[in-house]
Amino acid sequence: MLEIVFSDDVSYQLPYEYLRVYSPSADVSGHGPGQEVLQVGKKNVGITSLIPVGSYAVQINFDDGHDTGLYTWGYLYKLGKNQAALWQDYLDRLAAAGASREPRP
Amino acid sequence: MSFNETDVQSALKNLIDPNTKKDFVSGKSVKNVKVSGADVTLEILLGYPAKSVWDEIRAMVEAHLKGALQGVGKVSVTVSSKVVPHAVQRGVKLVEGVKNIIAVASGKGGVGKSTTAVNLALALAAEGARVGVLDADIYGPSQPTMLGISGQPKSVDGKSLEPMTNHGLQAMSIGFMIDGDDTPMVWRGPMVTQALDQLLHQTRWDNLDYLVVDLPPGTGDIQLTLAQKVPVTGAVIVTTPQDIALMDARKGLKMFEKVGIKIVGIVENMSTHICSKCGHEEHIFGAGGGEKMCADYNVEFLGGLPLDIRIREQADSGNPTVVADPDGTIAKVYKQIARRIAVKVADMAQDHSAAFPKIVVQNT
Repeated sequence: MLEIVFSDDVSYQLPYEYLRVYSPSADVSGHGPGQEVLQVGKKNVGITSLIPVGSYAVQINFDDGHDTGLYTWGYLYKLGKNQAALWQDYLDRLAAAGASREPRP
Repeated sequence: MSFNETDVQSALKNLIDPNTKKDFVSGKSVKNVKVSGADVTLEILLGYPAKSVWDEIRAMVEAHLKGALQGVGKVSVTVSSKVVPHAVQRGVKLVEGVKNIIAVASGKGGVGKSTTAVNLALALAAEGARVGVLDADIYGPSQPTMLGISGQPKSVDGKSLEPMTNHGLQAMSIGFMIDGDDTPMVWRGPMVTQALDQLLHQTRWDNLDYLVVDLPPGTGDIQLTLAQKVPVTGAVIVTTPQDIALMDARKGLKMFEKVGIKIVGIVENMSTHICSKCGHEEHIFGAGGGEKMCADYNVEFLGGLPLDIRIREQADSGNPTVVADPDGTIAKVYKQIARRIAVKVADMAQDHSAAFPKIVVQNT
């Protein structure tokens, strides 16, 4: 779980899996709407390190090797604010694709 | 009637620093107030370099205290400046030996970024600050010519470079490493960003208050590397008044917003043309473009410079205007802009850390 507190004192708790499947990286989000690539089997994903990027974002390195997402403060705020809806949307898309959160054995 | 230290402090609460537009007490400038009998001694420590106005401020504070405190005897005020380092996120690697980084940028080429950058750096130095210039324009370095520096930088330890110096500035540019004026850097993006990183981090900057970074035009590799790899205090946008330049300047400004770098303000170059024969002043590129952009984006208009043949001649000859004609009207404009930048940067340095969210990783 990653807890983030913003300057307006709003705080969100974001699970690693949620961050991972909503990575802003082009590998995950594509280069525009409609190009998203569904991430599956990330239930147990962990974070190995956080690297600050300038003064606007943080690069999250996941233990499955994914490290190309730069999470800007605004993006993290959005992930926090719409957590319930976005998570449900992810679960719906998983179900529609017949995929699972569980890692492949 | 007697008075104590607190009375002196509260008297100074009513005195506004003409540069910061804040009173000296809330600007945290008043130090070491001592009252002995009827005499008062105190120090004013400014957060920005301002050698040229120290006397003015001393006289102002002394006169104010003499008026505000009844029965006061001798008032002695010492004024000095100390530039505070810019606060950064934890984890971001600071550039060693540098307190503040000021990026000078524009969307468009040829608007006078390098000329403005070097003159502003010299103006800050003239106000008593320790200043360096980093020429981040890898494809078209101009600072060696403008600063009148030739030769190659030396390395004492074989790993880092000593900055070149002239006119009291420390400088580093890719231009020092290449032979001849016509050798092009035929490089792809990754090479360029690598070179910038090395110029920045492997130069032994010596205790700088400000490092002025002269950026190339555009919103690409170099600008992004600078924004991501180093803690930039703020950016100054240079533009000319015509619409075609302003269009690109707006993009430059938006880029800095995207990467969380604050805009110090906008400098309008070539605002007016002054005829060298008759002295007639004309807005040949249009009037009020820079001001309008400032109003649109709610940023400060730092000042406007004329299109004057001397600025170009002096920069081309390695003696930029601020050192060639330090008391002239153009140098005065540069110095005024430099002071506005310094005041703004001092402000930013104080309230910067609050901008970052706190992140905690919990392993469950």
